[in-house]
Formats: sequence, C-alpha cells, structure tokens
Amino acid sequence: MTVNRSRRRLAIVIASTAMIGSFAVPGIASELRVGFSQDGQTLDPANHRNRETETILRNMCDGLLTRDASMKVVPEIAESYRQVDPQTWEFKIRDGVRFHSGTPLTATDVKFTFDRLTKESALGGQTSPRKSLLGPLAGVDVVDARTVRFRLSAPWAILPAMLPFQELVSKDFVEKNGDAALATKEDCAGPFKLVEWRRGDAVIMERDPNYYGGATDIPPVGPAKVDRVIFKIIPENASRVAALLAGEVDIVNELPASAIKQVEASDRAKVMSVNGTRTFFLSINGAKKPFDDIRVRKALNHAVDRKLIIDKILAGRATPLNGVMSPDAFGFAADLPEYAYDPALAKKLLADAGHPNGLELTIDTTAAFKPTAEAIAAIMARSGIKANVQIWEGAVLSPMWAAADKRKDRDLYLASWGNGALDPADIMVPTLKTGGRGNSAGYSNAEVDKLLDAAETEVDQAERADMYRKAQKQVNADAPWVFLWLPQDLYGVSKRLKGWQPSADSRINLHDASVD
Amino acid sequence: MSLSRLLERLLGLIPVLLGVSVIVFLMISLTPGDPVEIMLGDSRATPEQIAALRHDMGLDRSAMERFLVFLWNAVHGDFGLSFFHRRPVIDVLAERLPATIELTLVSLVLALVIAIPLGVVAAVRKNSWIDRIATVGSLLGVSLPGFWFGILLILFFGVHLGWLPISGRIGYSSEVHSVTGFLLVDTLIAGRPASFLDAAAHILMPALTLALPMAAILMRVTRSSMLEVLRADYVLFAEAKGLTRARVIGRHALKNALIPTVTVAALETGSLLGGNMIVETVFGWPGIGRLVVEAIFNRNFPLVQASVLLYAVTYVLLNFVADLLYVLLNPRVRL
Repeated sequence: MTVNRSRRRLAIVIASTAMIGSFAVPGIASELRVGFSQDGQTLDPANHRNRETETILRNMCDGLLTRDASMKVVPEIAESYRQVDPQTWEFKIRDGVRFHSGTPLTATDVKFTFDRLTKESALGGQTSPRKSLLGPLAGVDVVDARTVRFRLSAPWAILPAMLPFQELVSKDFVEKNGDAALATKEDCAGPFKLVEWRRGDAVIMERDPNYYGGATDIPPVGPAKVDRVIFKIIPENASRVAALLAGEVDIVNELPASAIKQVEASDRAKVMSVNGTRTFFLSINGAKKPFDDIRVRKALNHAVDRKLIIDKILAGRATPLNGVMSPDAFGFAADLPEYAYDPALAKKLLADAGHPNGLELTIDTTAAFKPTAEAIAAIMARSGIKANVQIWEGAVLSPMWAAADKRKDRDLYLASWGNGALDPADIMVPTLKTGGRGNSAGYSNAEVDKLLDAAETEVDQAERADMYRKAQKQVNADAPWVFLWLPQDLYGVSKRLKGWQPSADSRINLHDASVD
Repeated sequence: MSLSRLLERLLGLIPVLLGVSVIVFLMISLTPGDPVEIMLGDSRATPEQIAALRHDMGLDRSAMERFLVFLWNAVHGDFGLSFFHRRPVIDVLAERLPATIELTLVSLVLALVIAIPLGVVAAVRKNSWIDRIATVGSLLGVSLPGFWFGILLILFFGVHLGWLPISGRIGYSSEVHSVTGFLLVDTLIAGRPASFLDAAAHILMPALTLALPMAAILMRVTRSSMLEVLRADYVLFAEAKGLTRARVIGRHALKNALIPTVTVAALETGSLLGGNMIVETVFGWPGIGRLVVEAIFNRNFPLVQASVLLYAVTYVLLNFVADLLYVLLNPRVRL
C-alpha cells in the first residue's frame, strides 16, 4: 500500500516534471510557497519603509531582537540585553553566529548596521528612511567583539520594542560590494539564504544549513525545517486564493473576508487569523463646528453599530475598540467605557447640542473602505445623521487630513493607523498628541500631551503603562474619534502546512514551518 | 526607402520626447500627494527626518530646477533613482520590460492567428453561419472585461482542471540564465525543452486574455476591409482571368485588405507594450504595467517619467514599423 502510493506519487512527479517542467522538483525534498500580495522593494534592510519588504527580508535576515508568538520581545542574535542607565542599553551578542557568506558576525557588524540606519547619507549618499524608527538613538559603541552599547540622546523605553524592526547586515559584504549591491543581494544571518530574486515574480530562498538556530526563547532551535521557501508574488486577491485552492501555494496573506467561505469549503486549505495591529477609527474634525461640541462627538459614537458592521462586512473578524490601543499592546486599558449603539441617545445628544433635526456630514475614505464607510453612513441615518461618503485617492487623502488648513472644511475621515511595535508610543503620540503627524482629528488635550511626554522618558515600565492607561481614558472621554475596531489579519493556509501560525506583527516567519 | 527619410523619422522623435517630458512633468507637479508622506506611512518622524528624505528625493528643489536637472540627466542616460526601490529607474524598468514584451508578442501572434483567417472567411462567406458566429464572437471579445475573463480562465484551467499554472512566468526549479530576457527563447537557447513547455504553459492564459479582445477588433477590421477589396475592379478582373478563388483571395485581395489590419495591430501592440496592469495583476505577471501603476499611486515620479518616455518612444517606433509594413504589402505606398 505504502509502496504503491509512493510509487504512484513518484510517477506523478515524473509525469508532471516531464509535462510542465518544474512544478514538482526532484532532488528538493520540501518546498514551501507563500502567495504574497506584494513584491519586496529592495533587499537592503536599511533602505525601505515597507511592511511586505520586511516580511520577506525577515526570513533571510535576523535582528538583535525579535518577537515570539505572543508578541513578547526576546533576544535573537543578541544573547541578552540590559538597560545600563536611562540612556544606555547593552547587548551581548551570541557566539558563533555567521553570515550566509561564512563571515563571523561581531559587534562591529552591529555598529555598522545601526550607523547605516541612523547617520545622514550613510547609504551611499542616501539617508535611511528607517531612521525615524530608532527615535533618539545617538550611536552604538563597540565594547568588545561580543558587546555593544546603544547610546540614546534621551531616555527611550521602547528601544527593545523597536529593535525587532531592524535586521543585521555584514560590514564586510557592504564594504566589498558597495551599498547598492545590498539592494538586490543579501549577506545576512537568517534561517534562509537568497537563491534568486525574480523581480515582480518571486523571491526564492533555501535553508542555510549553518544557521545558528534562531532565538533560544522560540523553540525549536536549529536550521529551518523546509529546504526551500518561495515568496510568489500574486497581487490579485482572487488569483491568490485560486493559487491556494489549486495547491500552488501553501500560505496566502491578506485573505479577503469575502473568500473565507470558499477557503473553508475546500478540503485542501483552511483559514487562520490573528489580531492585527491596525486600529480603525473615524477621525472627527474637532476644529469645525458642530464637531467642536463634545455632545456631537459622543452622539456620533453612539450612532455607529460597530458589532453589526463587524459581523456583516468584516465577517466577524475584528475586535471592537473603545479606544486606540490593541488588546495585545503594552499598556492597553481594558476598562474603558463603551459608547454603546443607541440611536435614541444619539438623537437626544444632538438635540441637546442644538441639532434636533439631525446633521448632514461627509465621510472621507479611500476606495478600499467604501463598503465600510457606506455601511456606517446607512447606520448613522437611523440617528438622524445624513452621511455622504466621498472616495479619495490615498496619496491625496492622508496629506489633506494631516494639515489643519487643508482639512478645515472636512467632517469625518475613515482612517487607520498601524502599530507594529504594539506600544502606545508608536500610535498615541503620532495620532493623538498635539500636532502629531497622524493627528487628523486635530485633537489637543494638555493633560494627554503631558502624560504622553512623561511616558516617553519613563523608565519604570509599570509606571509608563499606567500613564498610557490614563491617557487612553482621557481620549475615550473626549471622543476625538468614533472608535471602531481592530481587524484580524486573515491567512489562507494549506492543510499540509505544519508548525506555522500567523503573527500579530504580520511577519510570516517560516523557520519552524514544514510541509507534509 | 531612403536613408535620409529614416534619419528624418528618427530626428522627429526628439521634439516628441521633449514635448512628452514637459507634459508629464507638468502633470506630476500639479498632482497632489507627497511620496515622502507615502513612504513614511504610519510612523513618527521628525520634521528633520522628513526633510532629509525630501532632500534625497530632490523634492526640496523648485519644480523648474527639478525639470532642468531631469532633462540634463536624461540626455546623459540617467533617469534618476526610483523613490521606493532606491535603485536606478532604468534598472527597475529593464528588469520588467522583457516580461511585458514577451507577453505582447505572444498575444499579438495569437490574436493574428485567430483574427485573420476568421475575418477572411467571414468576409468571403458573408452572412453565412460562420460569419454570424464570428461577428457575435468578436462582439463578446470586445465587451468582456479582461479581468473577469482572466479569473474565469484561472478558475477553470488552473483550479478546476489543474492543467495550467495560475501565476508567474516559469516554475521555480532552477535559475534560467537570461540571454534575451524572453523565457520562451532563453529556455530553448539553454537546450531545456521541458522548461520551454513550462514557460509556454505559464504564458498561455495571460496571453489568451490579452489576445481575445485584440483578435475581436482585428477580425472585424479584416472582415470589413476584405469585403471592400472583394468588390474592387482588380479582384473582378482576376476572377475574370479565370484564377482560382483561393488564389484571388490569397494573393490579390488579402494583401491589400491587410493594410488597415496592420495599422490597428500596431496601435494595439503599442498599448500592450505599455503593460497591461489588469492582466499582469491577475496572473502575477512581472511586467511593467503593474510597476507603473503602482508608481503613479505612490507618486514615484522618476519611474513615472521614465516609463512615459518609454511609451512615447515605443509608439513612435511602432508607427514607423507599420509604415514599413505598408510598403511590403503594397508597393505603391512610398515612405
């Protein structure tokens, strides 16, 4: 029976190889394919600001620190780390780590990597677009071959939370080949090494047999399970799902909610999901009348039935929020009061504010969120609010809402903000502090600003979390937004895949994954 | 055709390209949206950090200065760095161009192979059942959205039957040494027939998706011009001479009837060479269509500029090729 089956399989392999060349590859024991929505922009870990690029790179390039499945920050190439004083952190580097070229990884490479990230014009004349992810990092000092110290120009408690975003590169490689070479080649210390990057088509990687094993806190430690990994670029949702159902790929990212039933009905694949890191909200233009009135902003909150929209449009795959933070994030305030859906209360609040006949307003959003915005508008109608939806191009919409003078005539903005660091410093400061880059509501509360500033430099983590909770409470009470939800990231996954689960930071780490 | 005429045509390119550059540059300057904001996405960034990126991208200079720098560099073959790939635009385009050209050529051949015989038969047997089927078929071919047709092909041949690969240009078993960049050619040069078949299997569905609407148009053009030619005096004369019907149609009528077909085919090819964003997206085809559309959405100005110039050159050259073909088809035409 077993013999028969394996013989038959062999026959199929031979036949299919003869027929269409290279679908099943003899000699390669196991291959895992990811149907991925976007190609990487570069292979230089310092020269992009793109989540998809990072997801691909992270399978070839390890960092000092990483995150485990529960999003806890753990050492990766670092062996251990400690805070020496509020402005100094020390990292001990593991012994015996080598880049794919065989060069040993030392403290010099760590310093080199972070110099490229933080020094002006360090990338062959260009400045790294990732510099802003490293806050007040002033420099890295080599203490000995296996020890580095990070010097900060101000205390910065979230340094460890921000370090998983940076991958280490080989100084030797860059000095020999130039910065430009890193755009298309890699010499990192990750579980897989690059075989070929077919631009726009696929990134092909193979297991590095000499891999040091990865984070000791994330077992199993050792070389990757599969021989080869391919990120196959399939931008169209329907085609990506089709590739999964046809068995061409084993994981697809950004599974549309509309495809959940189709995937679940297949005997080949299943749906997996995880809380994402992107908070959705309706930004209310607080500088414009009547939205400067807290009663109106509260009425808007009571006028949206979040649960209904989550059920009907997001296929139930989102968590309703009463504030800005994800429940998985540091300092999440779990006890925020809810603005329950209550059209009668919304009407009353509007009447109290001098609008007994309701309101007329416009919701701005991009084409991708048109159905959501239209559903919100329809539900608001029950509270006497006539909402129109206006669709914009993203490149136009976000700069318009970022500038107070440009948004002065706008009403509501269906927006979102990602928080890959899962830390309030990375989302509350830009979106809710006075003058923040993403503060589209124009929200300004001196108390909140003070708390955010103090938390920024607070070293005691419990104290810091407490400050953020207070700030979240204040924001909830001020209602600068209509609080909405945190969608789950959806993946379609082949049933032959083992040892993989989606991760809240939207990385697709394939070190532990295997296929039957 | 004289050499001086050829030179004249080529020199004519210069004002065209200059004009196109100015228009594209103006349109880009007038379009709202800031690539730095797009690149930084959701993040904290200090004004200094934003300023450093703007400087890297040359956006801290005036529009006039940017345009002059662009022109000066372009004349020297330097089209700048793609904002997001952070590599020379020329490299980024060159990597993706062969995929688009290969797909265009295969689609063109498929379309001609379908359209010309059908068009001729439909004209010769006007109002017969075959004419009606061809006419209805061409109407469908023109009206069906490519996106929908592509997905339909994927679901049927890719998922249901499992015969054809859904996306990409070739399987991933081995690196294909690039000589021409056209996989159908490179695999043959490398002496790997199995890989050739693999590449052919990959290109079939996207090429068919592009070829059908083109075939529909070409079929109608061929049919109507054939109908016209069949009524011409010299065709009647040829028939009166006692030539066989096949010889009259094949030698005398078809050659003349194909002139409008060539013109339309050249124009269609031009638009296909710009890359078809929809088909490239549906089939994960790594051509320039998707690249350029993404560049527009990301306000990746250098890439947009260079690709529009490329389109302009392509159109001018294709028109030139069509003119040359007229001469071959009809000796009375002079360039």
